[in-house]
Amino acid sequence: MNIFLFGNPNCGKSTLFNLLTGLRQKVGNFPGVTVEKKTGVFSLHEEKHTLIDFPGVYSIYPKSQEELVVYEALKEIHSSVEPRVGVVVVDASNFERGLFLFSQLADLGIPLVLVINMIDLAERNGITIHLDALKNELKHTPIAVMNARVGLGKDRLLNALAKQIKEQKSESYFAINSTLYESEAIAQQEAEAINRQQSIKNMGESVVGKKEREVKKSKLDWWLTHPIIGYALFALILLVMFQAVFTLSSYPMDAIEWLFQRIAVGCAAWIPAGVFQDLICAGILPGISGVLVFIPQIALLFFFIALLEDSGYLARAVFLMDRLVRPFGMNGRSVVPLLSSMACAIPGIMATRGIPNSKERLITLFVAPLMSCSARIPVYTLLISVVIPKQRLFGIVQLQGLVLFALYILGIISALGIAFILHRILKQTTRSLYLMEIPDFKPPHWRNIFTTIIEKIKVFTLEAGGIILALSIVIWGLSNYGPTEERAEAITQLKTENVYKKGNALEKTQLESAVLLEHSFLGKFGKTIEPAIAPLGYDWKIGIAISSSFLAREVFVGTLSTIYAHDEASGSFRLREKLMHEMHADGTKKFTLASGISLMVFYVFALQCLSTMAVARRETGSWKIPLAQLFLYGALAYVSALICFHFF
Amino acid sequence: MNLTLVPISGKAKIKEINHPFLRTKLLEMGVTLGNEVTITMRAPFGGPIAFRCGNSIISIRLEDAHHIMVN
Repeated sequence: MNIFLFGNPNCGKSTLFNLLTGLRQKVGNFPGVTVEKKTGVFSLHEEKHTLIDFPGVYSIYPKSQEELVVYEALKEIHSSVEPRVGVVVVDASNFERGLFLFSQLADLGIPLVLVINMIDLAERNGITIHLDALKNELKHTPIAVMNARVGLGKDRLLNALAKQIKEQKSESYFAINSTLYESEAIAQQEAEAINRQQSIKNMGESVVGKKEREVKKSKLDWWLTHPIIGYALFALILLVMFQAVFTLSSYPMDAIEWLFQRIAVGCAAWIPAGVFQDLICAGILPGISGVLVFIPQIALLFFFIALLEDSGYLARAVFLMDRLVRPFGMNGRSVVPLLSSMACAIPGIMATRGIPNSKERLITLFVAPLMSCSARIPVYTLLISVVIPKQRLFGIVQLQGLVLFALYILGIISALGIAFILHRILKQTTRSLYLMEIPDFKPPHWRNIFTTIIEKIKVFTLEAGGIILALSIVIWGLSNYGPTEERAEAITQLKTENVYKKGNALEKTQLESAVLLEHSFLGKFGKTIEPAIAPLGYDWKIGIAISSSFLAREVFVGTLSTIYAHDEASGSFRLREKLMHEMHADGTKKFTLASGISLMVFYVFALQCLSTMAVARRETGSWKIPLAQLFLYGALAYVSALICFHFF
Repeated sequence: MNLTLVPISGKAKIKEINHPFLRTKLLEMGVTLGNEVTITMRAPFGGPIAFRCGNSIISIRLEDAHHIMVN
């Protein structure tokens, strides 16, 4: 049977969902929108049931995109005759507010189970729920008192569910209205809400016991939102977080790459040489490795985000940052995803899921790839070392470091600029108010954090990983195959060259790979686009490197070193020196300040990352956004590189 | 006087909310006319403010808080 889970935000609904379904859950989107839909399976008395988690709402009438999703779903549930049960989770400390939603759902005729959650916290706040009095009022709704965080009351919930699954008893308790008003009918909704509040208040008098006590004033919130200390603390937390993501993730990432190299070597030993061996060892295995290598970063980043979220700190940080990013059409919630994108846009884009407003979420997701990620570092550092002289400015500032810094700033400024433009262009689809509840601080719940990490890894590998793998095999194929005769001729030609004859075994292999890459389909593509990229100061070699680095930006460096292996002019085998000595036919240097800067700026903007596209597709549910990013940022990269090449 | 003028830790009683959409939304969140609220946080540089009502803390942008009249 389908069991629907409803509740206010922060009522402990997700904890309860995790408690019931464990890891047997699936995360997707509601049709047509980017609101998260979680479904999970659990068994009760040998029978399997599907639990559908709806976003946290205060009312069945939509005032945000989350609520619109619930409203649309309820219209369907309301008109269907299928047996179903709704579980309404109510925070015991905010009992009357939860009852408001409960009563709306009850009046729609849905058989319900009422969960009174976080009873421990409520009791600490001096609130008691008189269960007998409540049962008197709600005669046909099974009630379960719980503390889902520690698993207390799970049996009570299962018993209540079993009863309601069998009996399917619904009753309108307040009988105010059982129709679902149009979402635009604000006046009717308000009138109904006032009536409903009054009935709940009358009922609450006999059900809820409150001991008047002074709410203890917490100094903590004052410190956390202090104009200096608050920001400094947030900056410090982010710094620690990103340092940890950078340094800690590199070990498992290296381990994954090492492991797959070993597997590839192992496979090569027992698969007979040929196309099949190439496909497995050079195409598929590195492709899988290229997907799995993102997992450590995703796991670490979501560990920190879930920790901040679950403890209640994130809500304060959002509160603090909202004003700063609002002019750019973003929300306080956009800050963590954007800054995460400086490590890697993949987890950054996945973290935009926390942004409630769809327009703000779209803007954040759209500009996230402009933040310079760690995969750009090898490209930047190589090019800086080639074209930027090692000298100091005014005797103190290292010029090379300054350029690297400028590239990062360029990324941030353009992200904010594009966000600002999008904010002006895009229409607000739903009326939206920034009304956010700030939860109390609580010790983090490890099972919730663990579930979040597992779920993010699952979504990435299963839903984006396939596309990344498929496309990386295509790019591998294009760079490893080409017109057979032409390739054979090129190799024969190479063998007559002096540099080849004089070279040792290793140098010979490197020369062969260079020639083969040049005469592959990808190499041909690089040569074909040469006229198009010549105005930016690039030749076909860079054309090949740019095309192949669409897999991942750092591939640029590897491809260049493969191509430059076949370079007679330079005596050195070090890539950096080869690039420095590369000459045009007329004897001028190829890598000048102008072409170097043009190339770096190209990499600031261009969406040279198919994994980012795969994740953006997954998060938005279509190719529209990733393709728009590809073309817009491609055009931006081209024009900026063109300007830079002529300016410098 | 509107809610934005209440200082931090200051208490106020909600008199009127001149914005039907906001009024209904707050009603659904358990904030009704006549409720006493306490300002608990103010974000710097004209950022949102947060108030306690009953057992929950709700944050709201200044532009929306202007519609909440208190005394």
